[in-house]
Amino acid sequence: MTTARGKTIFLWTLVMISVVVLSAPTLVVLGASFTAGNMITFPPQGLSLKWYASIAQATDLREAFLRSLYVALICTLVAIPVGTLAGIALAKYAVRFEKALQIYLLLPFTIPLIGSGIGLMLIFGNAGILGQLWPVGIACCVINLPFMIWAVTASAGSLDPDLELAAANCGAPPLQTFLLVTLPAVTPGVITGSLLMFILALNEFLVSLLLVDARIVTLPVQIYNSIRSIITPDLAAISVVFIGCAALAITILDRLVGLDVFLKSK
Amino acid sequence: MRAYPLTWRLLDVLETGLEKVFPRRLAGITPYLMLAPAVLLVGLLVLGLFQVADGSLRTLDTTTFLMSESYSLDNFRRALSEPLFRNVAVKSFAGSLIVTAMTLVLALPYAYVMVRTKSAALRKILLIALFLPFFIGQVVRAYGWLIILGNQGLVNEALSFLGIGPFRLIYNYPAVLFGLIQYMLPFAVLMLAPAVTAIPEETEAAAESLGANWIQTFIHVVLPMARPGFVGAGLVVMTLSLTDFAIPAILGGGSQDFIANAIYDQFFRTSDQGLGATLALLLVAAGSTLVAIVFALVGTGTLQMGRAKQ
Amino acid sequence: MKDLKNPVLELTRRRFLGATASLGSVAALAGAGLSTVSLPRAFAAEPEKPKEIIVRAWGGSWVDSLKAGVSDSFTKLTGIAVRHDLTEDNEIQPKVWAAVTQKRVPPIHVNWDTTTNATKSALRGVTEDLSDLSNLATVTELAKPVGLDGYPIVNTYGYVYVLAYRPSAFPDGPPTSWKALLDPKFKGRIALYNDGIGFHFPAQVAGGGKVEDIPGNMQPAWDFITKVKEQRPLLGEDPDFTNWFQNGEIDLACTISTNAREAKKNGVDIKWVVPQEGAKFETDGLWIPKGLPENELYWAKQYINHALTKDAQQVWLDGLGLPGVVPGLTPPADLVGDPSYPTTPEDFKHLIRVSNKIQVENESAWFGKFKAIMQS
Repeated sequence: MTTARGKTIFLWTLVMISVVVLSAPTLVVLGASFTAGNMITFPPQGLSLKWYASIAQATDLREAFLRSLYVALICTLVAIPVGTLAGIALAKYAVRFEKALQIYLLLPFTIPLIGSGIGLMLIFGNAGILGQLWPVGIACCVINLPFMIWAVTASAGSLDPDLELAAANCGAPPLQTFLLVTLPAVTPGVITGSLLMFILALNEFLVSLLLVDARIVTLPVQIYNSIRSIITPDLAAISVVFIGCAALAITILDRLVGLDVFLKSK
Repeated sequence: MRAYPLTWRLLDVLETGLEKVFPRRLAGITPYLMLAPAVLLVGLLVLGLFQVADGSLRTLDTTTFLMSESYSLDNFRRALSEPLFRNVAVKSFAGSLIVTAMTLVLALPYAYVMVRTKSAALRKILLIALFLPFFIGQVVRAYGWLIILGNQGLVNEALSFLGIGPFRLIYNYPAVLFGLIQYMLPFAVLMLAPAVTAIPEETEAAAESLGANWIQTFIHVVLPMARPGFVGAGLVVMTLSLTDFAIPAILGGGSQDFIANAIYDQFFRTSDQGLGATLALLLVAAGSTLVAIVFALVGTGTLQMGRAKQ
Repeated sequence: MKDLKNPVLELTRRRFLGATASLGSVAALAGAGLSTVSLPRAFAAEPEKPKEIIVRAWGGSWVDSLKAGVSDSFTKLTGIAVRHDLTEDNEIQPKVWAAVTQKRVPPIHVNWDTTTNATKSALRGVTEDLSDLSNLATVTELAKPVGLDGYPIVNTYGYVYVLAYRPSAFPDGPPTSWKALLDPKFKGRIALYNDGIGFHFPAQVAGGGKVEDIPGNMQPAWDFITKVKEQRPLLGEDPDFTNWFQNGEIDLACTISTNAREAKKNGVDIKWVVPQEGAKFETDGLWIPKGLPENELYWAKQYINHALTKDAQQVWLDGLGLPGVVPGLTPPADLVGDPSYPTTPEDFKHLIRVSNKIQVENESAWFGKFKAIMQS
């Protein structure tokens, strides 16, 4: 047990449990999407693509998916500068009332989503911007913002103050130090954070439910709503297509920036 | 000057501009300016909370379904005295603590292996396994669990070959906790990974060369060094599971409600926005207190890392 | 297609309300290729048509039958597209209420709602009055909401919270009493709605109390529900019942007959009864939120008026398997003589009906009490 082999076995057992627990329901649903029957079952009752055919014709689903992409994009674009600046500030500087500020910045997690949703609906309603899509993106950004801030502060741990100091000593002005020394150091955190923000916004349904109307419904809200009366295999098929699109997007991103680099131990 | 690339010149212009707008003697307020956008954005939620809070001081008149004109503390009295709310509060708080502990136990080895593995392909597979569950949504995911853990599900079918069961594996309190752990695990791993990355592999090697076995190394080197990550991950998991609504609703079989479900009922089922708002405010207060306690006990976690070196 | 004039549609504004009653012929003509998407000039006197109206509906077979019965024919008749908003009735309510309070245009034109929920909105004053719909002249008394002035809601059909069961679990014949829920062999294999809706009243009778004592003394109901709690019931919403029957989780449930019929259509062996204690009879209806522009309000009203025609009701309610509010409808073949499809006064004798006013005033307390028992 205390040998290196024991370590490998122990760690891998726990990791395998996690992988199975994480993936099992997804795999079952994916498999069920190819059923020829009318219910989500596993193993599927006969193989067919009929549920894919049925969603292929639904233009409303495609539109809802595009809207979700737009919402996720707005959310991520807002979160990157806001979360990065806040994260660096918290990691780098001694800020007064830091604990109080931390508790404040954690409000998106301590306020139940239903409360956030109702509150934002009233605020946006007063401002007359309900019925548009961009406020939904802002809302998704607010409720998940702690993830972005933390991802950045976590990687600011590898930020070497000496390096910044050196840059400044060599006469580098503040903006230059920030752009060329500080920012690259936290890039891994920014990537993790943005990925998380994007995926969470792409799948958000509870707060969005209160902010969209039938004309601008997003995909997760549409799925959530249709699930309220009956669950049919087309939902499984939608999930598969959804995963396919996301996988494609992430692969492209991976080719561009090399997603796993930030996780390698140094 | 000619040797300067364009970007450098651009930077110089920006630098001069910045110096004009924001002279260096104001540098002391830089962190506050950097925090301002985040504070304002979260301010939207606070503003919304204020709107909702007004309702908590008014009671519902079921002959008009309007909130009373006059203020009273009646909702708070009900929220704090009725056994129903005490029950759901106990379930939520106990649940969130158990889930936090269990999730961290599973998340650390996952993050450790994901960071330390030499194989890029393996790292990617582990990363994909983290993100995959998000895309089927919580309700369809729960349906997947019904297929696996239900009375006629895969697990019970397998058990029946062994001649045992069927067992009720779903729609009870443990099932809710299990569902929450599964939901929270990716968040915890992602928050822990940077902390593990920051532990130099040489430190572990050094400990082992001094005769420590891996368990001792883990306890005396990895755990303390990953502590900041633990605090961050733990807080995320604790607050999110404390306020979760969907998983207790769909894996609890209807009798394992958390506080957020009670809030949902007041807002959406009985139309009593006042009581709903009251419960929401109490939950925010309790959640924030819990966060404050964690900060007081172990510091602000992840967030100290950068500054600790200064 | 667009240029073809449909003679039936060339009507003056006042006659239109009556004309929707003759929709059958319109639909027939439309079927023959005479449908018009945009309406001819004769309608110039009508308020300007919106491009579309939004009708809130439940998803799955609920919206499918509404679309087939009401929305599609409405679009054929008027050229106005109908978009369905599938937000739950509970969840649209705060959105509509907030819109009215903030004097915004509400997110929907027509709300398909339970009468109890709709009554709350009516009491709050967010509903438009529908008394001027011409087809109200021909509907049964079921369409009129009880205990409210005028028609802030129009009920469009009724339904029963039946006791649904799996026949294979009842080899000796169907259950006859709600007390079957207390049979130890069904421990963990029964289901109710998560707020107890539909179950409070029969529980009152099964617990030895009287319907007349509602809401004054409901102790018998709470005693019975406490006993049911010992049986570890699953608590859920509409799709859960179908799922649970399909996946073999439960043998017995108190649910709307439509859900049981849905599971049956999917090949699950399931039947239902109205037990000797009776079963709760309830209605659903349509209403329009305040705050719509004048012209959109007009066309939203036309939609509801159209939903009260015999042809629209026939198709819509065939899909749901529920009895409508227009005389002379033909029940679906599988529901002739079924207790969940009451038509005669004799049928109604076995059903428990409590005024919606009493229900909305006490519902919070009942839900709270039910939850308190179930969450303990």
